[in-house]
Amino acid sequence: MLSTRLYEDFPTLKLKINGKRLVYLDSAASSLKPKRVVEKLKDFYYTSYSNVHRAVHTLASQATVELEESREKFANFLGVSPEEIVFTSGTTMSINLVVVSLLRSGFLKEDDLVLVSLLEHHANFVPWLRLSKFHGYKVDYIKPSGRFGTLELDDLLKFRKARPKVVAITGLSNVTGQRLPVEELRNVFPDSIIVLDGAQLVPHERVKPEEIGVDFLVFSLHKMLGPTGVGVLYGRREFLEQMEPFLYGGEMIDRVTLENVTFNELPYKFEAGTPNIAGIVASKEALIYLEEMGFEEIRRRTRKLTELAVDGLKQIDGVEIYGPLDERQQGIVSFNVKGIHPHDVAHILDQEFGVAVRSGHHCAQPLIELLKKQSTLVEFPNSTCRASFYIYNTEDDVETFVEGVKKIKEWFTR
Amino acid sequence: MMYSEAILDYANSKRFRGRLEDATAVEEGKNISCGDEIILYLKVEDGVVKDTRFEGIGCVISQASASLMIERIIGEKLKNVISIIEEAEKMAKGGSFDEKKLGNITIMSDVKNYPARVKCFLLSWRTLDQVIRKLSQS
Repeated sequence: MLSTRLYEDFPTLKLKINGKRLVYLDSAASSLKPKRVVEKLKDFYYTSYSNVHRAVHTLASQATVELEESREKFANFLGVSPEEIVFTSGTTMSINLVVVSLLRSGFLKEDDLVLVSLLEHHANFVPWLRLSKFHGYKVDYIKPSGRFGTLELDDLLKFRKARPKVVAITGLSNVTGQRLPVEELRNVFPDSIIVLDGAQLVPHERVKPEEIGVDFLVFSLHKMLGPTGVGVLYGRREFLEQMEPFLYGGEMIDRVTLENVTFNELPYKFEAGTPNIAGIVASKEALIYLEEMGFEEIRRRTRKLTELAVDGLKQIDGVEIYGPLDERQQGIVSFNVKGIHPHDVAHILDQEFGVAVRSGHHCAQPLIELLKKQSTLVEFPNSTCRASFYIYNTEDDVETFVEGVKKIKEWFTR
Repeated sequence: MMYSEAILDYANSKRFRGRLEDATAVEEGKNISCGDEIILYLKVEDGVVKDTRFEGIGCVISQASASLMIERIIGEKLKNVISIIEEAEKMAKGGSFDEKKLGNITIMSDVKNYPARVKCFLLSWRTLDQVIRKLSQS
C-alpha cells in the first residue's frame, strides 16, 4: 500500500481512469507532481513574480533571490559550485548547447571522433549526428553486446584505443532501464570530454559529476517531480569559461558596442533571454521532496518494483522482456507480447485496467532496430510497451499491471 | 469499443494483405512516433480502382482500418475514392459524416473518442490520399 502521505501529496493518484484506480506507469516520460511543487508555482506567480537579474525593485530582487536559491540547491545536490549550473529548457536543449558550444570554441574539430552508444534517446543522438554533417567530425557507435540491448563493460573497452574527443552516453537507458557503469567512463576514456545524459538516471540516484569525473551532466526536472521546461546543465568550470555561448541575446552579455560584444560571467553567459523563472524556483521544491525521501530509498523502492514487474511478466508465456533483467535494471521495464501490437496492449491496459504505460519507439530508433534483430518474435512491431516506476508506485500497481497484461494475452489468443 | 469481434476480424483478415504484382501505383506510409509502416499497392485502370493490397505491421486499429478501406474502395472511381477519404477523416475526427459513403467502415467510428488512436486509424487513409494525389497530378 502507498503511504497516506504520498497519496495525499500526489492528487493525480486519486483519479479514476475509466472507473478504475489510476496506475501511473509512465514516469520515464514524465513524473507526476506533488502538491508542494504546484503550490510553489502558484504562490510564486501570485506573490513574488517578476523578471530576474535586471531591475532593482523589490519584486525583482525577491524573484532573483529565489531563482539563485534554486541554483544553489542544485549545486549542493551535485556537489559542484553554482557557477557551474546552467538552467536550460530541458535535456534536449542542454545537449544541443553542449554540442554547438564545443564546436564554436574549438574543443571539437573536423576529424575528431565522437562516441555515442546505441542506447541513446534521440536527444543524445541526433544533435551529434546532424552537426557532424556540417562540421566534419566523425561519429561512432558503442554497440551493446549483452542481452537485448544490454551494454557490457567490454563494449566500452573496445574503444579504449580509439581516443575519442567526446564520449556522450546515457546513465540509464530509457528503453531497457539498464543503469550503465558510469563510474568506469573516466578510467576507460582518460582524455575524452565526457557528456553524461542523466535524464533517466538523476531522478533515481544522486550523481556527483566531479567524483565520477564527467565533464558535463544534463537532466530535466519534469522527470523528477518538477515542472516541465526546466533543465539542468552541469559543466566543468574550465570548459564553461572557454566555451562560446549557444544562444545570444539579453542577460548573457557584458558589454555591447557596434564592433563587438563581451559576455557575462558564469553561468549567465549561457542563459540568454528570460528563463522559466517560476519553473526553476518550483524545481527546488521537487528536489527538497526527493531529498526528504532520500535517494537511497528511492533507488531501493523503484528497483524492488522493477524486479517484481520483471518476475511477473516472466510468468506470462509469449512475453519478451528487453534489457538485462538483473540488478542493473532500474525503474523501467520494456516488453512485447507475441502477436499483439504494443499500442493495443497500452490502449487496453488503460481502458480496462486504468494502467498508463507508454508504447512506441521511445525516441530511440537505433536501439529499437537492434532489439528487432535480436527478437524471437515472428513480427517485431518496431516499438515496445514500457512500464516505468517512480516513488509513488506500489506493489499493488505492479500486480494490477501484470494481471492486465496476462488478461490481454488470454483475450487476444483465445 | 475499439476491440469488437468485427474489428478484430478485419484486423486479422488476410484478404487484402500482400504485394500486388501488377500494381500501377505503390505508396509507403509511416506513423513516425509509433514506428508503424504500411505499403499500399493500387491497380488503377480508366480512373477506376481495380484492385488494392497492403503490407506492413501495426496495431489492430491500423490493420482493421486498412482492410476496411480496401474493401470499400475496390471497384470505385477515383473521384469517389477522394470523397470516401474525406468522410473517413471526418468520422475519425468526430465531425458529421455521410454514413452511406463509408458503409462498413462506420464500425470504427468510436475511434473519435481516442485521440491518440486517430493517427493509427488514418495511417492507411493518409497513404491512400498520397497515392491519389500523385495519380491526379500525372
